[in-house]
Amino acid sequence: MRFRDLAFLVVSNLRRMKLRLALTALGVVIGTSAIVLMVSLGVGLQKSVVASLGDLGAATHITVMGGFSGQPGMPESEPLDDRAVARFEGMDNVQAVMPIVTAMVQDMTYKKNTTNMTVKGVPVDSLKAFGFEIAEGRLPRNDKEILLGDAVPLKLFDLSATENTNKAARLELIGRRIVATVVQYPTEGEVAKDPAAAMQEPVEERHKLTVVGILAPADVDTDSSAFISLDTALAFNGITTRRPTYETIIVKADSAETVAGIEKILTNEGFMTFSARTIQEGLKQTFVIIQVVLGALGAIAMIVAALGIANTMTMSIYERTREIGIMKAVGASNRQIKRVFLSEAAIIGVLGGVGGLVFSTAGAALANLFLQSMIAAQSNGAVSQPGTTTFFYIPLWLAIFAIVFAASVGLLSGVLPAVRAANLDPLVALRHE
Amino acid sequence: MTTAVDVRNLQKQYTMGSTVLDVLRGVDLTINHGEIVCVMGPSGSGKSTLLNIVGGLDRPTGGAVIVEGDDLATMDDERLADYRRHQVGFVFQSFNLIPTLSARGNVELPLVFAGLARSDRASQATAALESVGLGHRLEHKPTELSGGEQQRVAVARAVVNGPAIILADEPTGNLDTTTGNEILDVIKAMNAEGRTFLITTHDRAVAEAVAHRIVHFIDGSIVEIEQGGLA
Ligand SMILES: Nc1ncnc2c1ncn2[C@@H]1O[C@H](COP(=O)(O)OP(=O)(O)OP(=O)(O)O)[C@@H](O)[C@H]1O
Ligand SMILES: [Mg+2]
Repeated sequence: MRFRDLAFLVVSNLRRMKLRLALTALGVVIGTSAIVLMVSLGVGLQKSVVASLGDLGAATHITVMGGFSGQPGMPESEPLDDRAVARFEGMDNVQAVMPIVTAMVQDMTYKKNTTNMTVKGVPVDSLKAFGFEIAEGRLPRNDKEILLGDAVPLKLFDLSATENTNKAARLELIGRRIVATVVQYPTEGEVAKDPAAAMQEPVEERHKLTVVGILAPADVDTDSSAFISLDTALAFNGITTRRPTYETIIVKADSAETVAGIEKILTNEGFMTFSARTIQEGLKQTFVIIQVVLGALGAIAMIVAALGIANTMTMSIYERTREIGIMKAVGASNRQIKRVFLSEAAIIGVLGGVGGLVFSTAGAALANLFLQSMIAAQSNGAVSQPGTTTFFYIPLWLAIFAIVFAASVGLLSGVLPAVRAANLDPLVALRHE
Repeated sequence: MTTAVDVRNLQKQYTMGSTVLDVLRGVDLTINHGEIVCVMGPSGSGKSTLLNIVGGLDRPTGGAVIVEGDDLATMDDERLADYRRHQVGFVFQSFNLIPTLSARGNVELPLVFAGLARSDRASQATAALESVGLGHRLEHKPTELSGGEQQRVAVARAVVNGPAIILADEPTGNLDTTTGNEILDVIKAMNAEGRTFLITTHDRAVAEAVAHRIVHFIDGSIVEIEQGGLA
């Protein structure tokens, strides 16, 4: 006996209890909607948060900062100097190391156009190893040359977004002279020697630089920065010592999988570290917990729905006791009877699941629209793209899961009543009024 | 003549507390292919019990019921269901049709459980309903049929799977005499095509009209077997 042959029995059974079927399925609709909306809220929040974090940089990069960890039990880290750079380079699974000195450039001027940007001093040879791609021009070779991030020409040279994707337009920028205004405040060392130094006026210097290259698009931070050689940056900052310390050193792991291990060694040595990988892992775990908690809340509604199905099936089987006797008299086996009623219960589940999915999809869309317009109204358009934040997001796996889950809940709720129906004594059933 | 059903020393006891109720006390009865046997007897004498055991709805406490070489007493639930599906047809006093199914749906039911394809089911059910004179009532629900028509649907349902024996427990009990006689005519017509019946009745006239043999039952035992009107 195939399901198709059962269908006419099942359908005629379900038809006679339309109202009860609708009410029972409504319970499943509510349960499914609760689960789908709750989980989709978790998924949506995760998506928005991950998106708003932007590109945290390559998955293999670890940013190391010097020893102000302040965590109890952690050793004070050694200074981030050339010795540390050499030592990091020697660590297992480390592919490249890049110290960074942020130059104290207050702003950058081209003709009458003044903008501010981060200017980073790096060992220019290491840029390649870190995957920086030069789209136009070349690397700086001396202390008069500068390499620009992809987005810098937009402000500095007033390029439009389309012009900035035009190779010819960008090539024209190569060779332009720009002026960096460097402001030197007294260094900590000077203040330590003579507290009065803190009161000194900062020294302002102007340095002419030639644009020699433009990077291809990378992460947000890189795109908006400019790069000079490490020595140039140190000189700008007035640092003359033989053993300079760096504020950050970037360590590149040989693969995303080894990032966590390297990070652990470094934090144990007292360094502050951060990496896109560990932040995302942490977030992922947090959101799994959020989804499970929200899903469990939804599951409570589903449990109520399951009880509803079990109740409906028990009642309808009781009312049809005599028919079960008839079915047995004309040759239905226990298994076949069970299958009839399990199919009914599963169909209630599927109907409720489909209804719940439709309802929650519509509900999620409405809620997103509403919340987005609320945000837009509150921020007075300050949010650049108010329409892009998703609160409820229903991925395909959730939709499929919802239907399968609702069907399974129906099936499971039907098991006990169906087994009872199947095991009825045919004579007793036939005598039932 | 060949044997359709062989009932040997059939016993059925109910134990209620300390008292033992003997409902069937060693019944021996052979029913031949193409025969109509009527069981008559007072209320409570065990007629329905005999039918239910022969039909595989109830189990004996002793003896044997041999159909096509197999003893029902030794069958498990699954095989008994299979036996009911292929070898037996039931007609009840109270029709026992499924109210949500049409006449044809009801007649198709045994074929559904037997696993027949939809088109075969429909054509066989239609043919069975036509043979009981209900070719024009295929899509009627039981509530839209008279008592006599309902019982004719029940007869069609009982014969549709081509059973070795059709068991009818007071088939005319809920019908007036005229309508009852119409049912008896249907049964006789079916019998003329070679079908075998075991029928219970209170009504001597029914037994006289429809039976080859009349079995008299008292208190769970056969006291007399006489020839009926069809013999
Ligand atoms: N489940 C049961 N438990 C105990 N006793 C039972 C049970 N089923 C039937 N009986 C008894 O068995 C006896 C025979 O019952 P059965 O229904 O076979 O009688 P019957 O000859 O068909 O009577 P009627 O003409 O009234 O239909 C009755 O005395 C009845 O009380
Ligand atoms: Mg009886």
